[in-house]
Amino acid sequence: MNRVVVTGIGVVSPIGSTREQFWSGLVEARSGIGPITIIPTERLNSKIAAQVLDFDPAQHFDPKRVGLLDRFAQFAVVAARAAVRDAQLEITEEIALQAATIVGNGAGGMNTLDESYLKLYGQNATRAHPLSIPRLMANAACSQVSMDLGLKGPTFTIASACASGTHAIGQAFQMVRLGQTPVALAGGTEACITVGTIKAWEALRVLSTDTCRPFSRTRTGLVLGEGAAMFVLEDRERAVARGAPIYAELTGFGMSADAGDITAIDPDGAARAMRAALLDAKVNPDDIDYVNAHGTGTALNDKGETIALHKAFGADAERLAVSSSKGVLGHSLGAAGALEFAATALALHHQTIPPTANYQEADPDCDLDYVPNTARNAPIENAMSSSFAFGGLNAVVVLGRA
Amino acid sequence: MAIIDDVRTIIAKSLNIPIERLTPETRLDELGAESLDVIEIVFGLEEKFDITIPLKADEASRVATAGKTEGQDMPFSTVGDVAEIVQKLVAAKAPQ
Repeated sequence: MNRVVVTGIGVVSPIGSTREQFWSGLVEARSGIGPITIIPTERLNSKIAAQVLDFDPAQHFDPKRVGLLDRFAQFAVVAARAAVRDAQLEITEEIALQAATIVGNGAGGMNTLDESYLKLYGQNATRAHPLSIPRLMANAACSQVSMDLGLKGPTFTIASACASGTHAIGQAFQMVRLGQTPVALAGGTEACITVGTIKAWEALRVLSTDTCRPFSRTRTGLVLGEGAAMFVLEDRERAVARGAPIYAELTGFGMSADAGDITAIDPDGAARAMRAALLDAKVNPDDIDYVNAHGTGTALNDKGETIALHKAFGADAERLAVSSSKGVLGHSLGAAGALEFAATALALHHQTIPPTANYQEADPDCDLDYVPNTARNAPIENAMSSSFAFGGLNAVVVLGRA
Repeated sequence: MAIIDDVRTIIAKSLNIPIERLTPETRLDELGAESLDVIEIVFGLEEKFDITIPLKADEASRVATAGKTEGQDMPFSTVGDVAEIVQKLVAAKAPQ
């Protein structure tokens, strides 16, 4: 089996859309959560989100093309281009024919859907825009990435709600490891900050109106975010031979389903995915130094995830550094696992643990070391990144120092 | 119709049980209500009475698993508790 490394990282995020801005924002716990400005908020009870505010589509797409891309596809294409540049990857004819493109997104073109339905139902328009379907279909982002970069290998979308990004990266990892392709573009994208989507999340009663405070006793819920992260995953031998930058090695992927509650986390299911990832990576619990947690900031997730970490790591849980990036990035659903994979790979690269932002006080139900508010320099040999989705779908990856 | 009967109707419909099973003393957790059922019931009541019931997801889950909420201001254990909350919220908006 081939060893698989991360050679390119591209992000579009609420804290900036270069790798350097993204990393410094995480390390400084500079929260991207703020008042919603990209949509009207009169009808919203929760008026905060982690928005991508510095994104100008005209900078990235010509006027004719931009009309074909919903915001979630724009994010994915821009992140994928950045990843390819970062990896100094030349897309030769040979690579183009083999490379896989796998993108995770929980929804699809929600901005397009919202605008279309507003016109049809709200304003009694008689027809929808003719590009509505190509813009909003769930696979639009991965198709646009493949078209933009000319990648012609296996290409598809993975939709597993909040685990989509992690499932996509894990799937691409397995394909490169098995030698099905020497290179894969993988990651996740989401742009769900629309009136319709936020009203739907409000109705589930899990949104905070304050901010996202993962694992803190004072946490009041999750805050929606948006963005994308895409990666070049590559056969290690090939990457070394061409002198590519190597951020981290991807060593294990574990999955499970709870087959239980449609929304609540099941600590047993989450712990099974963690253990499967450790087994796949051939590492023991005591080999892991850092866990980038799902950590949504809801009462239930953070408590359940803490129980899961105790179950999967046993006595080693006490020693683990655990942090959630969602205080900074919000919860970008299908993109979350990908943005957090970027955080985890960069933590290994910089040997620095990004903190849990907005943390206020300890919760007896959340009794681990959450690296509150201040980054920590620490030797990291192996790290884990976890995603637990609505529908009980869990995906966990393990990375090692390059 | 008394508020309690509307509350019974909405709960019966959400849980797909005969309305006759619901008395003011009936406990929601004993009816097998899961957290999303509780949220759906709250939504149904809000729509019916044009009120806002400030119940968060974790409290809904506590109603389903422990049979009550943590705070004293929003008891949600029995059908009667729910009717009382609705009554108060309806009364509070009456003057406008």
